[in-house]
Order: sequence, then structure tokens, then C-alpha cells
Amino acid sequence: MLSMQQIAKVYRTDTVETHALRELTLTVDEGDFVAVTGPSGSGKTTFLNIAGLLETFSSGTYMLDGRDVSNLNDSARSKLRNEKIGFIFQSFNLIPDLNIFDNVDVPLRYRGFKSAERKARIEKYLDVVGLSGRMKHLPSQLSGGQQQRVAIARALAGEPRFLLADEPTGNLDSAMARSVMGLLKEINEEGTTIVMVTHDPTLANEAKTNIHLKDGVVSETASISQLGNGKQNAA
Amino acid sequence: MEFGPILRAMTRNKTGAILIALQIAFTMTIMINAIHIIEERNDAMARPSGLDEANLFYLTSTGFADDFNEQQQIEEDLRQIRALSGVVNAVQINAIPLSGGGWSMGLSTEPGADADGTGVAVYFVDEHGIDTFGVEQVAGENFDITDVGWRERTDTEWPDKTILTVAMATEMFPDDPMSAVGKTVYINDTEPMTVIGLIKTLQAPWNGWSGVERSMLVPQKMLFGSARYLIRTEPGARDTLMPQVEEMLAASNRGRIIRSMRSLEETRERSYRGDRSMTLMLKIVVGILTAVTALGIVGLASFAVNRRTRQIGTRRALGASKGDIMRYFLVENFMITTMGVVLGAIMTVIFNIMLVDSLSLPPLNVWYIPAAVLVMWAVGFLAVSGPARRASNVPPAVATRTA
Repeated sequence: MLSMQQIAKVYRTDTVETHALRELTLTVDEGDFVAVTGPSGSGKTTFLNIAGLLETFSSGTYMLDGRDVSNLNDSARSKLRNEKIGFIFQSFNLIPDLNIFDNVDVPLRYRGFKSAERKARIEKYLDVVGLSGRMKHLPSQLSGGQQQRVAIARALAGEPRFLLADEPTGNLDSAMARSVMGLLKEINEEGTTIVMVTHDPTLANEAKTNIHLKDGVVSETASISQLGNGKQNAA
Repeated sequence: MEFGPILRAMTRNKTGAILIALQIAFTMTIMINAIHIIEERNDAMARPSGLDEANLFYLTSTGFADDFNEQQQIEEDLRQIRALSGVVNAVQINAIPLSGGGWSMGLSTEPGADADGTGVAVYFVDEHGIDTFGVEQVAGENFDITDVGWRERTDTEWPDKTILTVAMATEMFPDDPMSAVGKTVYINDTEPMTVIGLIKTLQAPWNGWSGVERSMLVPQKMLFGSARYLIRTEPGARDTLMPQVEEMLAASNRGRIIRSMRSLEETRERSYRGDRSMTLMLKIVVGILTAVTALGIVGLASFAVNRRTRQIGTRRALGASKGDIMRYFLVENFMITTMGVVLGAIMTVIFNIMLVDSLSLPPLNVWYIPAAVLVMWAVGFLAVSGPARRASNVPPAVATRTA
């Protein structure tokens, strides 16, 4: 599903060179639910950005769903993002001036779906997240948990191959966090691959696979079955 | 195109959009009406006077010596001027077309004080008048030397012949203007004059008068104390002859002064100086207004881009290409501009009706409105394209930055 080989990302200014990722190699299998953890500055967000085609990388090879994305131009990357990847952000990133219906509609319009198709998908996925009765509400009229559910519906509406979640419960209280995590697990159970960046070890333990980043490289990988028998060092 | 979401988003953040739409509407209203006034003034300035303007000049002779014989001097001056090499013809005249000062009378087709008179500019000339003006005679005949008499300042009677412009004949005999030749018209209520000829065009001295094309020639030379001579030269000889004539006349009789020498081209330039200044001012106002409106659009769009940077990043993350983002801002601005031009079109028509009523301007050419709509769309497009391009360059990774 997702295969990174020796991916490096270097940020350069006139005076400073920062190595955010150092020859990172990892694979995410189809149907997996991967939690990526690590301390601040370990490269979690950079990994997420590169995995989601939000940023380019300095060297290495990245295969997404069997396709080498290393040399795609901006337009091709946008198209691939739209078709293959669903994003869930820590701050929900809903568009405040648009109602819930229109927010979920955003990626579908870029996909070029007809109006009837878009409407059907929006209604279906708002129903999945339990918000079909709030379609005309603005984001500001919803709780944080409900806003994140809208964001999940928006991510799912394009029926992507995998979801990238950036601290999806970071701005939620524990009850809402559990609810959102439960929803993500249900989605994964239905076959969608999920890669979730989090700093919360409790949430990470609910994923099938844990990847721990440190200083821009994978320092540890463990599957859920291995967690029961002690973690296996992959570095 | 996401017209619906953009419109719905705008209605929740409408102050800036409404202000810009209003600015566009005001700019369009002023632009169209100002251009209408400019065009109307340009048309007025382009009207032919009927004269051979490039080769005409005039000057005034005023005698002051006790033994100054005005009649004799006028005869002698005209003889000398007409005899000069390079002079086509010359005439004594009471007023100069477009100069701003002259005579007017009322002519009617029926005698009596109750008859409605038609205002007309009066030019006293002799049989050399038509040739000196360089006007085209289209019917009838010119004055004969025997028609021409002398008029003193206190005289109130009028000769029995006149030549009219076609515009004056049209006003008096609208059914068949050319039939005016041979007909009698009345001046001073009861004094009959026979129309012996028609000339194509000869403008009155007052360019702002609605009847500026209505003029009449009267066969008289004047003993008014000052004599004004209008002189027509061969092409290219005017500037040489102006000082030559001035010196010749001054030298021929030291008992007078020669003054107010001016070419017809200079007279036209002075006559329309106010109009030219006004049109220039209007052009500057339109230019500044358009620039201010464009800057307003740039400001609003730049503010929108800055305010929505994270939103733009999110859209990019969700699959929007750079072109999609650029198109979003162009469409949003197009919608604001369209609201402005629709309002502007309504305001333009209302403002024009007010101008027509209060300033007697002709009504607006309706094609100005779609032309102005296109201009405002183009201005909006150009103004927003910079901020839109900047928006399209917002990287998608902005979406994952912590707010």
C-alpha cells in the first residue's frame, strides 16, 4: 500500500540545514492501522506530509499503491491526493464559512463528481459519522468531536485507499477522543488503511501496528500481536 | 464551478464584498457618465465651423485721430489687404465665429410681435464675405456690390436681403429648407428680408448655444468706431501675412491702433479650452477611480488570501490543484464584480436620467453599459490575478501546521 525506501528530507536555509527524515524506510500493508509515534522533532509531521504528498522529499523512493510518486508534478500529486488519500487533521480544518454539507463536498468537487453523486456520498458518510441531521449547520455550531466527525466524513467521502490522521484526537476531551478512535477502528475494520500520527501511547496501542520515530528514522516497529509478547526492535 | 459554495461563504462574510461591489458600482456609474460627457464634448469640438480655419486671421482697427475718416479708411484698408500677395480675400465683419462675442436676432416667417422668432447669429459682411469665410454656397446667389450699404451704430433698420445657413433654413422651413431661397423672413418683428441664398455651414460665435449652426449674413459694412477685418490667405501664407498686414495697416494711418490680431485656429483653441480642461479632468477622475477600485480589489483579495491561508492549504491537501485555488479566487472576485456592475448599470441609468434632466445632456448610448461591464470585469480580473496567484502558491503542508 505504502512503501518508503530510504526517504530523506532536508530543510535548508542560508545558514542552517535540518535533517527532518534520515533514510527512513517503512512499509504499510493494505488494511493495516498504523500509529506513528515519537517525541517532538522526531519527524512525525514531515513523515505525514510526505506520505500524504503534501511535501516532496530530498531523496529516496516512495511507492503509493504501487505507483512511484517521486517525480510527480504538483498537478499529478494533487490528483493522487484527491483520489487515494483522506486527511484527518488535529484542528479539524473545516472551512468555517461553509456548512457541513459544503465542507464534505469540497474534495468531491475537486474530484469532478456530478451533483447527484456528490449529494449521495455526502449524505451517506455524514450518516456513517452520525451527523446526517446537521448538514446545514456551520462548523462553529458543532462540538469539537462533531467537527472531527465531519472531517472524517469529508475524508471518507472520496472513498480513498487510505486515511492519514494527524493527531485526530489531539483537540478532543477523552470521551470524544474514545468516540473518534472507535470510529476510526470501525473504518479500518471495513478495509480502509489508516496511518495515524499521535503522541498518545494509549491511542497508539489501539492501532494494529506501532511505528516509533526518533531523529528522523524508525526506531521501533511492533504489530499488535507482538505487543502482547513485548515489542520488537526494528531499527 | 463552485458558484453556490462561494456565494454562501460570501454571504457569511459579506461586508468587504459589499463595499467592493459598491465601489465598483460607483466607479462604473461615474466612468460611463464621464465618458458620455467626454464624447459629447469631443463631438461638439469636432463640429466644423464651416470656415477655412487654417488660413484665416483677423484684427481690429480703431481710429483715434480727430481727422480719422472711418468709412474712407475701411474702403482703403480692404483694398490694400485684398491686393496683397497671398491674400485670397478679406471682409469687414462684426463678429468672429466661435469667438464668444457677437450679435443675435430673431427671425420669423410671419410679421408681427406675436410671431415666434427663431434665434440667429448675425454677421454683417459685403459681397466678399462668402469667399472670405471659405463657406460653401448651396443655393441661391451671393450679395451683389449694390446690395451692400453702410450701417451706423445707432441704425435700427435692416436691409432687404439676407443669406441663411441651411440649419437656419431648416429651422424656419422644416418641410423643404432649400425652398427658403426667394422667401421672405421678418426681422425686428415687421421688417421683411428676402432670402437670396443658402450656405452650408457657418457657426455662430457661441459654441455652447444649442443653435450654434444658425447664422445669417446681412449685406452691410459698419461704422462702429472700430473695424474688424477677417482675412483669408493662401494655404501656408497666414503666419507670414499676419505681421505684414498688421504693419501695413499701422503704417498706412498713424491715427489709429491695430490690435487683437488672432488666427481662427487660436480662436477655436480658446473657444474650447474649457471643454478640453473638463474632458482632461474627467479622464483623470475616471483613471484615478478605476485605479482606486483596482487597488480595493487587490486589498480585499490579499486580505482574503492572508485570512484563509490555512483554508487554502486544507483545500490543497484535499486535492485542489494550483489552478483550482486560482480559479476559486477569480470566480469569487468575478461574482463580486458582477454584483457591482449590475448595481452600477442601474445607477448609471438613474444618474444619466438626472443629467439629461438637469444639464440637458443627450441620453446615454446604451452600448456604453456592456462596454463598461467588460472593462470592470477586466479590471477585476487583472487586480485579483496577483493575489490569486499568491494563493495558489500556498503549500498544501500548511494544512498540518498547528494553528
